[in-house]
Amino acid sequence: MTPLLRVHDVAKAFGGNQVLHGVEFDIAPGEIVGLLGPNGSGKSTLLNTITGFEAIDRGRIEFEGRRIDQVPAHRIVAAGVGRTFQLPSMPRRMSVMEVAMAAATSHHGVWGTLLGSAGSRQAEAAAHAKATALLEQLLLTRVRDLPASALSGGQKKLLGIVCALMGDPRLLMLDEPTAGVHPNLRRDIVAALQRLNAKGMTLVIVEHDMHFIREVCTRCIVLDRGRIVASCRPDELASNEHVVQAYLGSVEPKAVEEAA
Amino acid sequence: MSAVFDFAVSTVTIAGIYALMALGLNLQAGYAGLLNFGHIAFAGLGAYAAGIGFGLGWAPLPSLALGVGLAMLLGAFMAGLGRKLASDYWGIATLAIAEILRTIATNEGWLTGGANGISAIPALFDGLPRPWNAVAFLALVLGVLAAAAWLCARLGNGRFGRALRLMREEPQLATCLGYNLRTLKTRAIMASAAVTALGGFLYAHYMSFAGPEYMLASETFLLWTMVMIGGLGNTLGVLVGVVTVQAAHVLVPFAKDWIGFGSDVAGALRLGLIGAILLACLLWRSEGLVPEKLRKIP
Amino acid sequence: MLQFLVDTVLRASDLALIALGLSMLYGLVKFPNVAHVQYAMFGAYVTYALQSSGFPLVGALLAGSVAAGLLTLGLQVLVFQRLLRGGPAIAMIGSLAVAMLVIAIMQGLAGSFPRMFNLPRVEPLVIGGARIAWTQLYLMGTTIVLLALFMLVLFHTRLGRAMRALSSNPMLANASGLNAERITYCVSFASGAIAGLGGSMLALSTGAHINLGNDLLLPVFAAAILGGLGNPIGAVFGALLIALTETAVTNLNFGPLLGRELAFMPVGYISAGSFLILLLALLFKPYGLFDRDVRRV
Repeated sequence: MTPLLRVHDVAKAFGGNQVLHGVEFDIAPGEIVGLLGPNGSGKSTLLNTITGFEAIDRGRIEFEGRRIDQVPAHRIVAAGVGRTFQLPSMPRRMSVMEVAMAAATSHHGVWGTLLGSAGSRQAEAAAHAKATALLEQLLLTRVRDLPASALSGGQKKLLGIVCALMGDPRLLMLDEPTAGVHPNLRRDIVAALQRLNAKGMTLVIVEHDMHFIREVCTRCIVLDRGRIVASCRPDELASNEHVVQAYLGSVEPKAVEEAA
Repeated sequence: MSAVFDFAVSTVTIAGIYALMALGLNLQAGYAGLLNFGHIAFAGLGAYAAGIGFGLGWAPLPSLALGVGLAMLLGAFMAGLGRKLASDYWGIATLAIAEILRTIATNEGWLTGGANGISAIPALFDGLPRPWNAVAFLALVLGVLAAAAWLCARLGNGRFGRALRLMREEPQLATCLGYNLRTLKTRAIMASAAVTALGGFLYAHYMSFAGPEYMLASETFLLWTMVMIGGLGNTLGVLVGVVTVQAAHVLVPFAKDWIGFGSDVAGALRLGLIGAILLACLLWRSEGLVPEKLRKIP
Repeated sequence: MLQFLVDTVLRASDLALIALGLSMLYGLVKFPNVAHVQYAMFGAYVTYALQSSGFPLVGALLAGSVAAGLLTLGLQVLVFQRLLRGGPAIAMIGSLAVAMLVIAIMQGLAGSFPRMFNLPRVEPLVIGGARIAWTQLYLMGTTIVLLALFMLVLFHTRLGRAMRALSSNPMLANASGLNAERITYCVSFASGAIAGLGGSMLALSTGAHINLGNDLLLPVFAAAILGGLGNPIGAVFGALLIALTETAVTNLNFGPLLGRELAFMPVGYISAGSFLILLLALLFKPYGLFDRDVRRV
């Protein structure tokens, strides 16, 4: 089966700082992959390069067999890759429902809107229905008329997921979807993500929360200082010495001997 | 009584034309958050198209098409500049473009009549007896304004407006929802250019004149003041802003006659009043007199 | 040829001080202040008022620049600090309003007729075929001296180091104990005073008039942007470049290019020439000619 996403030898530096060193992995359709690593390991940068928010210095990224590493971000989204942000910032002068409807990008023709053409009205109605359904699924119906910036952090993350889902992505990349979120809400997010995966959506989730990883993910990729140090199942993580070293810092065996 | 009537008709006509140009600016500045400080160039192109078309013997509509077309081309060019420039730099660049166009208009007499401009542009309803010609023109202006206001409100509340407003407030979010920000900005600027050129065209016919002073930077600033005072981003706010500024403009000559100060002071008072109102709005009601309300979706 | 150089340097000194002040302050407040050129106009009027009521010229000049500095500081504290909370765009539009107010007040007080300084008539200096008026020479000299002083402060004093740190990374600078507010106030006063001095000295040649600021707006901004906003030394080079363009545009004989004996650019295109340079520069170097920063646009 062709991989849904193929990341080949991707390198990225900022100024003199090499953040990604030849990262390489595949994601198969239907997986839920957790992307882990200590702070500064390059997880967000990797996410940004795949979704087109950063350019890569070297390598190739392919989605469904087509190269996306030189493609502008908005076209990658249109191609079927959705993403959320770690700290979503939401507009102040738009309601939650408006933001969700704004996420329906098909057919934003000026003339259609002006002349009230049938096609335009149908598209509006369809967007309205879809937004309403998604808001309901992610428990935001109650706040649909509030200004989007007035939501709590957790609710903004949910809204971010709604927006990403409006585009019907085949690959959804989430940046710390449960960080700082109330445990009840967290349960709902987990349930929503599992439902989506059951319907065929592939998920890549950047996360720190080990419980979440074990509950949800089918596979984990661990990054440390810009390199992949492990690719295994969640239950294998604790026993993988590279993973432990990455998180706790490596201790030279010799130094331990000398100290003893 | 006739003098008062003429004055009233004239004031409302000019206010209407300014309102049209301010609505155009609102599309860029209010909906899309673009800091265009060369906006008046679009009006200037519309005005000069009226004059040049008349000189070539064209009927009004083809001249209008020329003006609108040129303005939209300029808009596309300005949008293209924005690809590389941060927004405050872009604002200054657009100011520079307007100044370049004004300089060309002042110097290229063969095309634009130079500093003296193009005169004797017909008033569009010359066939009618007074006062009906002025009234008919006023009716035209108000009709066009009403149509433009309705269209802008429709655009603003629809899909395009939503995209623009999202881009204005959270450009990163807009990009990751699949919007091509470049295209959105270009469309907003071109739409704005078209509406504003129409205003300039009408102004030239009303004054029977088109000259380089139409494109002074101070005119752009005046339009910005109208849009900011009334409230960026909503149509009603723009109209309120236009009325406020026009009222200040008109009241000062009356005060001058009544209190009896010199014309220098009168000019200073006009400018100062507008500046003071704008500053007060920015300090205490930065949303403008008619803040942009949250749009309720049923 | 010498006249060409002299004209260039003279024009550059008209612009350099004001552009430098603008750029310096932008580095700290991060918004383009359209009212800045009006501080120059204000300084010119204060100098004129004092000199024409009997003060010695040098004293009047100093007083004019101090007055402009105080005006700038006052506006920064009372108006722009508040406006900046709404973002740089609001602050920029606010500066527009402030500019209108300053012009209106000066016009109301002083009228729109230019006020010429009552100076002893002295024959212009002639060096090797080039003519320079004494007032222009003073402006040039003062500009060079002030520039040297400024570079000294910027690169060899604690204040200058603090300014540079604050300009490139405000948060880090704050965290390392620099008092951002106080430094911004110092810089506001200084940039206003320099602008006031520049405007006053310019007015010695042209008279104090209401449009002194407006006429300078675009060339000064062009100079500051070419040098990169926030890079005061760059602004001076920008001023030189703008002056060079303006002088070249009017003095170069394009005749040979067009197959005629004499063909000059119309005088009206002087300013258009510099704006064109500005636009071209922005197209290829959006952050100024001297931009070296790694920046994610």
